[in-house]
Amino acid sequence: MFAEGLFSAFSVLAVLGALGLILFRHPMQGAMSLVVTMISLAGLYTLLSAKLIFVLQLIVYAGAIMSLILFIIMFLNIQPEDLPEETGRFYYFIGGIVILIPIASFLIKIMKSLPGTEATIVGNGFGGVKEVGLVLFQDWLLPFEIVSILLLVSLVGSVVLAGSKRRLSK
Amino acid sequence: MHDFISLLPLIIIGSGAILLMLFSAFEKIQLETASYISMGFFAAAFLAQLLVGCGPETVLFDKIFNGMLVSSNFTMIAGLIILGCGFFTAMNSHTYFKINLFCTLEFYAIMLFGACGMLLLTLSQELITAFISLEIMSLSIYILVGYDRSNVTSTEAILKYLMLGAFAGAFFTMGTALIYGGTQSTKFAEIGSFVAGHSGTNPLVLGGVFFIFVAFLFKAAAFPFHAWVIDVYDGAAAPVTGFMATALKTAVFTIFANFLAINGALHKDWITFLFYIAVFTMFGGNLIAIGQNSIKRMLAASGIVHSGYLLIALVAISTDNFTGTVVGYYLAAYAVGTLGIFSALSYLAGEGEKRATFDDFRGLANVRPYSAAAITVFLLSMAGIPPTAGFMAKFYVITSAFTAGHMTLAVLGIVSSILSMWYYLRLIIHMYFHEAEECFETGGSPLAAAATFILVFCVFAIGLYPIVI
Repeated sequence: MFAEGLFSAFSVLAVLGALGLILFRHPMQGAMSLVVTMISLAGLYTLLSAKLIFVLQLIVYAGAIMSLILFIIMFLNIQPEDLPEETGRFYYFIGGIVILIPIASFLIKIMKSLPGTEATIVGNGFGGVKEVGLVLFQDWLLPFEIVSILLLVSLVGSVVLAGSKRRLSK
Repeated sequence: MHDFISLLPLIIIGSGAILLMLFSAFEKIQLETASYISMGFFAAAFLAQLLVGCGPETVLFDKIFNGMLVSSNFTMIAGLIILGCGFFTAMNSHTYFKINLFCTLEFYAIMLFGACGMLLLTLSQELITAFISLEIMSLSIYILVGYDRSNVTSTEAILKYLMLGAFAGAFFTMGTALIYGGTQSTKFAEIGSFVAGHSGTNPLVLGGVFFIFVAFLFKAAAFPFHAWVIDVYDGAAAPVTGFMATALKTAVFTIFANFLAINGALHKDWITFLFYIAVFTMFGGNLIAIGQNSIKRMLAASGIVHSGYLLIALVAISTDNFTGTVVGYYLAAYAVGTLGIFSALSYLAGEGEKRATFDDFRGLANVRPYSAAAITVFLLSMAGIPPTAGFMAKFYVITSAFTAGHMTLAVLGIVSSILSMWYYLRLIIHMYFHEAEECFETGGSPLAAAATFILVFCVFAIGLYPIVI
């Protein structure tokens, strides 16, 4: 019962944080609500007894990546007058909700049709460093390896798109 | 050993991509050299794919990769199409970027990476691997679309494509999570045996498959998710649009067909859904294409129509002994036709693609009779006139729909094919029955023109192949 309460609390927080991210006008406030989402996700991972993922989520996402994002926002020094004028955002918001209603009701219908199960704690060191490592490097070797190509593409791509404009003659 | 050889094309393309990426750090290497290198790698991989052959379905490196990659005749055909498209796109880019100067060496590296992702996507039989390869492919294409940063349309195109592509990716992961929840596995084989072992519809599998279909339909530009395609094709450079329209569609339809062929019960559940999507895609696409004045936008809309035909082929596949011949043949025929027109556009459009609308190509036949004839062949192939590849492909799709018992779908396919004549013939009329107003001077290298004429040959070769063999 306690775990269920925690689950609901973390999920609601995660969704609220995500909403804040897109609804706040100032990027700094948006980034702060992203932190809320990240931390509540870490909480959800603990409820699944995924220890390693919980720690990584806190250190890498809520820690390293968020501080990079905050650093960049501060570096750009965005003042309220730099922000673009968004006139029709209320209508867009309503439109988005209208589109989301059928998808959400579809998902809720699926979830309601599921038989209820009791949550149990998984034993055998589930979610520890060793266990995750074994699964990652034995069962999921191929996806793990091809992620490196994905990262390489995004690296080269960001250099190409964000780097200084070069024009080769001829 | 056989497993390694089957992966050889992928390895060649991957090492080529990394090599070109390293080369782009050097000042001395010219842009032309890079395009020759990428052509070389595409040709080598194409030959490797051709020589390897395939035979029946084989799980590659079953122990190490846990049955996540499966090669078959179908994946071999898809691989050949993708590699061929890459080769001709490298030729087109060679010419195009002599006139339009915004290319750097990384362009070719990213194109090879994209081809790498596409090959992986055709081989993968597991949802997470498929998701990662889908993202490799999409990321490379996003970058290629937005390569010209000084061009506003191209920037708009990349932004739209990136946003909507992120939506599609989110739907795909959502679907994967639901399917994993329902079947405790993300491997196609295990999902298949789960569906076969449980009668009645599992709500989690139903929802998961629906969300994955949304992602595939988005990437294939099918009916409710087709709005992006026109602007994105319009904003990208002509060779990139050609690559996107052909190779990307091939990869997506291959995984789509593989996914549908998991199990007969799964396929049967979705026939009605796919039926309506196919019909709306064909007629919606035709409606959009008729209203277009720019050739690239017309081709984008006609790409939607062709997705509709491919969906007919997907409705009609038999899951018991799935070979994917019809889908593969249609993809090949569509790829040569579309790529051919984009090759022609690469050298005819001129600096900054100044010739873009139907009116700009008035009287092309008077000035450049051979180019006009080549474009006519491609357009007739796409419209489905014998003896071109497009006719045979449509013939196979429609007969397969008949044999599978989908009369309505077959008839609607023929009706849509007749409607599509309107905009294909319109361009031919503009080229042949008007006086030339300009002299269509072209710059750059002759490679794109060479690609155009090789592709004309391919249109007839692919069209006659089933008759001769």
